[in-house]
Amino acid sequence: MKSTKETDKHGDIGCLDAIEVFYSYFDGEISDPKLIADFEHHLEHCRSCFSRAEVEKLVTERLRKSANRQAPKELRSRIRQLMDEY
Amino acid sequence: MTEQQDIKAFFSREIEENMNALYGTALRLSRTDADAEDLVAESVAKAWSAVETLQDRGRFRPWIFRILHNCSVNSYRRRSARPTETPFENEEDDGLVALLNGQSDEFLFWWANPERHFFNNVLGDAIMSAIEGIPEVFRTTILLINVEGLTYDEAAEATGVPPGTIRSRMKRGRTMLQKALWEQAREAGIVVVNDANRNDK
Repeated sequence: MKSTKETDKHGDIGCLDAIEVFYSYFDGEISDPKLIADFEHHLEHCRSCFSRAEVEKLVTERLRKSANRQAPKELRSRIRQLMDEY
Repeated sequence: MTEQQDIKAFFSREIEENMNALYGTALRLSRTDADAEDLVAESVAKAWSAVETLQDRGRFRPWIFRILHNCSVNSYRRRSARPTETPFENEEDDGLVALLNGQSDEFLFWWANPERHFFNNVLGDAIMSAIEGIPEVFRTTILLINVEGLTYDEAAEATGVPPGTIRSRMKRGRTMLQKALWEQAREAGIVVVNDANRNDK
């Protein structure tokens, strides 16, 4: 059984290292080009981490769609009135 | 245009651009439409009265979210309508791997191999219920970053914690979210994990 406890190494980083940077990578928070390249190389060669990555991307995408809310017209109007008073 | 007119034009434009994000965040902090609208209005009023303290216009977004966050905390304290959130203990970054090592094998297996049916048909409804069920500090962090698009630095500024804490909260929060989704899938009878189907995959 494949699990997150595995230590398969593809390139310079293994699954454990890849999992540690999962969210930072997908949130665009990694600035080290080598770490980015190593992580991407790992995903290209590790089916298990690739699958996890797809799940994480899907969860983020669905979360964004489900949680996105439009401010009501009444609120926009209320704020405009507030600003007019200043 | 006078300096005051320039500030007002800038402020109005930024509020308009961030209105949906502010309302969405307020709604999740206050949970009712009316309270959320009051929270946004109060935050805008407070922000305008303090706009002179905004030194870098490029930081308007984290600045206004910080004010929204503070107004929300003060509102809870004033009304005492809700118990103060218990601080989450041991919040230092102990690593995602350490977190996952404490999870069951069934969950870890499912996390990497969820049923497509769950994601195609159930996730849309389940995900909001799951996110509502995780502790507020983690929920707020995830929503600010994954829904409202703040960077880790901006989320740190908005919530008044160091960036390292945001990084840690993202890892913990997303793991909690996955676990909550897994539990929902189990309750819905979608997840059936046993040795037989493990061997099939």
